[in-house]
Amino acid sequence: MTTAPQTIGSRARPNPLAKLWGSLSLVFESRIGTIGFFMVAFWFALALISIVWTPYDPNASLFGQNLPPNAENWLGTDHLGRDLLSRLMQGTQVILVKTRLPNGWVIPIGVALWGVLGSLTLGTLLGLNAGYRGGWTDQIIMQIQDALIAFPRIVLYLVVIAAMGQGDLVVILAITLTGAPGVARLARSLALDIKTRDYIRAAETRGESPWYIMFVEILPNARGPLIVDAMLRVGYAIFAIGTLGFLGIGLPPPDPDWGNMVNEARRFIYTNPLAVLWPSLAIATLVIGLNLFADGLREETTRYQK
Amino acid sequence: MPQSPVLAIEDLAITYRIRGGEIDAVTDVSFQIQRGESFGVVGESGCGKSTVAWSVVGFLGANGYVKRGSIQFLGQELVGRRPDELRKLRGNQIAMVYQDPMQALNPSVRLGQQLKEVLTVHQKVSDQEAEERCLAMLKRVHMPDPADVMGRYPHQISGGQQQRVVIAMALLNNPALLIMDEPTTALDVTVEAAVLDLIDELRQEFNTAIMYISHNLGVVARVCNRVGVMYAGEMVEVAPVEAIFQDPRHPYTQGLIRCVPRLGADKASSVLYPIPGRVPPPDQRPTGCLFHPRCDYAQARCQEERPFLRLFAEDHRVRCHFAEEIDMASWQPPEEVQAAIQAHAGAPNGAQGSPSSPGEEIILEVEGLRKYYVAQGNSLRDVLGLAPKRFVRAVDGVGFQVPRRTTLGIVGESGCGKSTLVKTLIGLEGATDGRAEFLGFDLTVDLSKRPERLIQELQMVFQNPDSTMNPSYTVGQQIARPLIRFQTVPREQVQDEVIRLLEAVRLDASYLDRLPRQLSGGEKQRVGIARALASRPDLVLCDEPVSALDVSVQAAVLNLLLAIQKEHGTTMLFIAHDLSVVRFFSDHVAVMYLGQVMEFGPADAIYAPPYHPYTEALLSAVPIPDPGARQRRIRLEGSVPSALDPPSGCRFHTRCPRRHLLPDNGAICAAEVPPWRDVGDGHRIFCHLSLETLRSLEPVIQR
Amino acid sequence: MARFIFRSVISTIVTMFLVSLALFLLVEVGSGDITVKILGVFATPEQRASYRAQLGLDQPWYIRYLDWLVGNDWRVRSRIGHPLVAVPNPQTKELEWWAQVDGQLVRWEMREGHLFALVRQPDGSVLEQPADDQWQQTPEGKEIFWGVNTKNSAVKWVRGEGEEVYVLTSAGMRKEGDGPQQYIPLRKGLLRGDPGTSLQTGRPVSVTLFPRVRNTAILAGMAFVVVMPLALILGIIAGINEGRLVDRAISVSSLALTATPEFVTGVFLILIFGIWLKIVPAVSVFLSDRAIFENPQLLILPILTLTAVELGYIVRMTRASMVEVMNAPYIRTAILKGLPYWQVVLRHAVRNALMAPITVIMLHVNWLVGGIVVVEAVFGFPGLGSYIFDSAIFGDFNAIEAAAMLLVSIAVFTRLVGDLLYTFLNPRIRYS
Ligand SMILES: Nc1ncnc2c1ncn2[C@@H]1O[C@H](COP(=O)(O)OP(=O)(O)O)[C@@H](O)[C@H]1O
Ligand code: SF4
Ligand code: SF4
Ligand SMILES: [Mg+2]
Repeated sequence: MTTAPQTIGSRARPNPLAKLWGSLSLVFESRIGTIGFFMVAFWFALALISIVWTPYDPNASLFGQNLPPNAENWLGTDHLGRDLLSRLMQGTQVILVKTRLPNGWVIPIGVALWGVLGSLTLGTLLGLNAGYRGGWTDQIIMQIQDALIAFPRIVLYLVVIAAMGQGDLVVILAITLTGAPGVARLARSLALDIKTRDYIRAAETRGESPWYIMFVEILPNARGPLIVDAMLRVGYAIFAIGTLGFLGIGLPPPDPDWGNMVNEARRFIYTNPLAVLWPSLAIATLVIGLNLFADGLREETTRYQK
Repeated sequence: MPQSPVLAIEDLAITYRIRGGEIDAVTDVSFQIQRGESFGVVGESGCGKSTVAWSVVGFLGANGYVKRGSIQFLGQELVGRRPDELRKLRGNQIAMVYQDPMQALNPSVRLGQQLKEVLTVHQKVSDQEAEERCLAMLKRVHMPDPADVMGRYPHQISGGQQQRVVIAMALLNNPALLIMDEPTTALDVTVEAAVLDLIDELRQEFNTAIMYISHNLGVVARVCNRVGVMYAGEMVEVAPVEAIFQDPRHPYTQGLIRCVPRLGADKASSVLYPIPGRVPPPDQRPTGCLFHPRCDYAQARCQEERPFLRLFAEDHRVRCHFAEEIDMASWQPPEEVQAAIQAHAGAPNGAQGSPSSPGEEIILEVEGLRKYYVAQGNSLRDVLGLAPKRFVRAVDGVGFQVPRRTTLGIVGESGCGKSTLVKTLIGLEGATDGRAEFLGFDLTVDLSKRPERLIQELQMVFQNPDSTMNPSYTVGQQIARPLIRFQTVPREQVQDEVIRLLEAVRLDASYLDRLPRQLSGGEKQRVGIARALASRPDLVLCDEPVSALDVSVQAAVLNLLLAIQKEHGTTMLFIAHDLSVVRFFSDHVAVMYLGQVMEFGPADAIYAPPYHPYTEALLSAVPIPDPGARQRRIRLEGSVPSALDPPSGCRFHTRCPRRHLLPDNGAICAAEVPPWRDVGDGHRIFCHLSLETLRSLEPVIQR
Repeated sequence: MARFIFRSVISTIVTMFLVSLALFLLVEVGSGDITVKILGVFATPEQRASYRAQLGLDQPWYIRYLDWLVGNDWRVRSRIGHPLVAVPNPQTKELEWWAQVDGQLVRWEMREGHLFALVRQPDGSVLEQPADDQWQQTPEGKEIFWGVNTKNSAVKWVRGEGEEVYVLTSAGMRKEGDGPQQYIPLRKGLLRGDPGTSLQTGRPVSVTLFPRVRNTAILAGMAFVVVMPLALILGIIAGINEGRLVDRAISVSSLALTATPEFVTGVFLILIFGIWLKIVPAVSVFLSDRAIFENPQLLILPILTLTAVELGYIVRMTRASMVEVMNAPYIRTAILKGLPYWQVVLRHAVRNALMAPITVIMLHVNWLVGGIVVVEAVFGFPGLGSYIFDSAIFGDFNAIEAAAMLLVSIAVFTRLVGDLLYTFLNPRIRYS
């Protein structure tokens, strides 16, 4: 499906998806990378399954309250008698595979991923310009970036949410804004490094435009570290969504939110500690999985660079 | 010598473990080094030279181990020793110096501290005594102002001085064995010459055994008594240095010698013969003789039977079945090589030949060209913009003319402004002042203001093969880009044109889809040349295009550039720090010092008196791959002054060894800018000394 | 070095300015109608408008920004014609604004169409004097008066045209006559130490903020003292044993720690130590602002939580840096000198390895702040984090701005310290 059709005779230009897959598949060379991949894949699979099927309606109080795990409810029930497994499964969706727009529409790809995509785009744009052009452009972009970094993230989240209210898009915006400076920093340092290479001189002496150089000559070579960084950022984003959910200002209902599940369950931690454990585990494993995946990827990409 | 050798290596094989297998980096190496002897190890990169060195100090990293053989140091076996026993030898009896001095010193510890601990860790000495001994050693290695250097950090001294510190550090405990792995490769010729002198002196004084690794045959000829040639993990020839250069018996050794230009050789009268092919990576070594795919003498036997390192004559071992029959003097280039080379090198060429005899159209004319950079001060006054602006005068009034179809070579030490000059001409930087004209276009403006056609006519070949190509695109894509951008050929012919260009640089269509990481250094450099040629430029600027390549590859690339010049009538500007290469390749040569041209003239004229005192010093520093050549020793003192505050009058006066020939010890040199002395035939010298005096100078090199 | 320091300092100042502007715009301009929060959804448009005017919200944003940043008494002074001073109220210690007329502190009040001057007596009491003689004629023939009212605003009264204003009282909005036509709430400005009044409590932000800051400083400070040495040592140990079992163990556990959100760690620590082991009180009840001094064991779990979260990150940073340094050529040189391994590590590796993480760790203070907000929420800890959180939920912008600016200053300041420390540790910069 995603493999490039091998044109015979003519030079096959590798399809970008196949290229991406080519670089991702490196990860299986590394053991921790493989473990990470399967941890992440597990949650993705669960998210996709939950779209078509969950054991029960995640928002319906169908059972006794705070039940321990049993044959009907594999993970038990919460304080309102809702099935925890169904809620846990449904909770993956907004993070990983869908985003709800204010007008009620649903678009694919989850909030965490959109957010990281946003910061990747914004950060790369700023960072490449700062690094490649240097001079005043660099000074100004770096200053703005410094200011953004100076905001403690949580304050930025709080302020953005206080200003704009709750919603998937707001969370995406908050993740984008908090992530962009870090990406910009990375992209800038990569651009600073790559721009010293002779092939950039060659492009310049060919009279190529700065945009061509930044996006055609530099960006493809900065791709590896940026992708690795993005993986880690997805982890941070999930972490942040959990935190916001716990504080009660995260993704809005009706979809269950892992952080919020922890918050609700902790009042009954005496009687039903497992209700706290499951969503916590979910966040932790997903974040760890992404970290391992990124580590594996980094290990392999740097190995191939040498 | 009745003594046991300092180092005796027998049958050594070293292997690195990597994921999914092992790399047999070294498979069969044997040699001995006696006290007071300097043993050179040469070979192309990847032959396992460094690996042998590291194995002696027991530092093969986490994944390397000695698979077979023995390493005996003063009669003791080192293989299999306990780490703490090795530790006691290291730094005390065995010392090592390696390539990049800046990297070898800890950036955040004072040099004195780093020196002293070599002593204190191995012996009981007081701090006071250690300090004194370090000072004495620094003096010994001719370090200017040693007491001051002790209190400094590595970044506060120059590269040459750093290497002296590292050498001093290695010698502090008067080791029995000193291992040096390319210790001068990163240094300028003048600095290199001084360091090599030092090594020679120290060997005689301390009677140390030295293992000296280098890829530069000239350097080896200069400092070594005996030489071992390594190829693909094996020692292929071991002999005294004279024998290696005068009567090499292994075809590989011969090949190495044939592919470097002799100082004084030029393209009209001599030819470089590259060794075909490349060193096979450890996992692709052939059967039989490892060299047979590249060997001109190979016969059926060579493919099956592995030769052993055998005694050929007194103290001369060779690993070749036919060592007796092989004679360097009677070597004939294989027919196809001969034909190819004759096609371009034999034909009339350059300044000597007919198509571009003097009086031919001047294609590039530069006059009084200046490029100043604003210096960043660091004091508070500078930061606040209160201090007056200061300028780094990187290029300060340079002028020359280049006729069409010729090559102008530019030489000089690093920091003399060669690269800035090229950057200004190509338009990466705008000029500060002066005139530069090419085909009627103004070259003093930067690229953003240059018309498309000028950009197209002026292209560049870069130094570093590893960074000359964008790692993300295939060879085909990268050569096609300038074709598309400049619309050199219609869109549908691009592919054919790319293939034509690849063939022009002796590659073929099978390279189209390869990525840079699948190419060797020489191949990358060829692609770089093809890319520069794609827009069919009239002038190509080559910034050290071969200095990062192995000698055999270097020869091939130089031949290629010559052929291209012949075929397309391209004019070239050729920068290099290797005077032999420049001499070989260029029609005219400009010698630069501190942003100014010191001497300009036809290539052959520059290399014999009359010449500028600076040129003389450079020539005296060039390592010559011929142990029989006698070279007068002229060493410059100090280092190149800062371009922020260039010396008054003649810029060279602070270091000039010939000033004393002028009255008053050359007072005029410091006071007045020298005149251009015209020798005739376009040869000019920028010096106060009269032409008679300059003519009477003794030639630097005699055979 | 001068250049480096100069740049850092300038950049810090510019950063602070940009941040304050962004923060102000985001919070004040971006946030919805604050009167909904304060007056409820049933207030009428007139009530809202009147209330907004009293808060000075009818001014354009840049005026409000300047007022907020540098105060407005110096601007308003010319209208009133007397110097304005802020003196603390003898009972509440809160600042009150007075005009200084002939050496006396005076405010004004309008009742039933008449103006009264309230003159503050040395003992703090107030003497009331009719002041109808102070009205001033305008060219249009109106009689106006600019003065300071009892609610710390500079106001403009027009004689005979008393506005109807809605005053917020504890019982709700009350309509009053004789209101001023224009309000300028007086403030000294953030730069002069006055963050304004909390919209939620009506009291000056600075009064509530102080104990919160103190509590958080204690919490974060203690966590820092626990984390730093531990993390650096663990990171170095892991780094010099790259790939070995110790390294694996340290790396994996620090990854697990970083990947577990603070609230999860906190909740489980309560479960384990409070409920199962009963070592510390399970429920931390901070009855007063001073509870942490009376009951120091209440601090244990919050500190542990913060430690757990921070530890992993710093360990990972230090480890990475140590690994890099241990592979550097100068370490090879040191080993080839024959130095014993521990000397190589201590003399040559550690210092270089700690240099890089220092700036990053200092940057990380930001992150710590995030942790604090959550930890305080989990434990109900009365600190800065819960303060900013509550204020954000309410939309109390003076409070958010003050607390956020404080946090930002801490973050920016620590980064400056990190930069300077780095300069100092790194001879390449120090001697350039
Ligand atoms: N640490 C290592 N791990 C794996 N392979 C290595 C390592 N070091 C060197 N090699 C391989 O060993 C061979 C010999 O390398 P080297 O000793 O550096 O040669 P030289 O010094 O002659 O250039 C090369 O093929 C190189 O790639
Ligand atoms: S053995 Fe044969 S292939 Fe090898 S060097 Fe000798 S002649 Fe050449
Ligand atoms: S002018 Fe004087 S200082 Fe300069 S090169 Fe000639 S002799 Fe030497
Ligand atoms: Mg080597």
